[in-house]
Amino acid sequence: MSVASPRTILAVDDSASMRQMVRYTLEGAGYKVVQAADGVEALEFARTGTVDLVLTDVNMPRMDGISLVRELRTLHSYKFVPMLVLTTESGQETKQRGKQAGATGWIVKPFNPEQLLATIGRVL
Amino acid sequence: MAAPQAGTSATHPVAAAPSESWAVERQMANTLGLCETQMTSALQESDQAVDALIRIFTGLADTMRDLGAVSARLPPEIKANVADDLDAQLAAITKQIGSAVIAFQFYDKLTQRLGHVRFSLATLAQFVCDPAQTQQPEQWDRLHATLRSLYRTQEEREIFQLMMDGASHTASNEGRCETSAAQSTAGDIELF
Repeated sequence: MSVASPRTILAVDDSASMRQMVRYTLEGAGYKVVQAADGVEALEFARTGTVDLVLTDVNMPRMDGISLVRELRTLHSYKFVPMLVLTTESGQETKQRGKQAGATGWIVKPFNPEQLLATIGRVL
Repeated sequence: MAAPQAGTSATHPVAAAPSESWAVERQMANTLGLCETQMTSALQESDQAVDALIRIFTGLADTMRDLGAVSARLPPEIKANVADDLDAQLAAITKQIGSAVIAFQFYDKLTQRLGHVRFSLATLAQFVCDPAQTQQPEQWDRLHATLRSLYRTQEEREIFQLMMDGASHTASNEGRCETSAAQSTAGDIELF
């Protein structure tokens, strides 16, 4: 009998404490978590590896989350990967930019662990 | 400690004439710079403390998960005696950890907002040094627009709007508390 490998989530945030909270929440639900501190680091990973879902902040140095989503959508292996934006940004204009870039959904920080897991479960 | 009497302070003599390098604008810029530096220093200090706190928290939370796994593997004859109580205790801790995960995220939000305040203070310090700008209402409008563009959270935008509409600090805080309680977007989820 083969054992299914855990699904992998790429968590992108420039705040180390936020990455810790996300990692703790996702690993507790059985996901494997790969972390990146900004869009550039995430994109570098994505060019050589694949994940089942991307969870990204918006405001980060070097490359913001919306640009990251847009760049990832140009990669063949990320065309259909769910991408959730997790941010303090709640403005409609920014949300629309995220949607146009190819984001799957928008979550306003602070996240509730149960709701975050339920949302990930819905889009995976 | 007795309060210093006006005009008698050694550092602020009443009749001292301003030196050539003394200017209101320079004093304002220096004072704003002082505020920004104090804030930066306090944030750096608290960042280290919070990072340590989060490491400890996640360590404890991981241990709690391990205990849950151990509990699940207990032989039935042992578990029969303690199962309900143990499961209830573990469920209570899990719930508290969930609340802590939410609470920790507010520090991240605080850091972000204070970063905007620091930038605002630095921008204002530069602005007040140029009398040609400070005398022009449209330059103030431009400055406010620059500060407004920094804001990422609903709370920051609310405070900005209330203050620009002429509310006092106190009224702004009270008004914001009322609107935020009713319209908070924290935790909002939208799937496209």
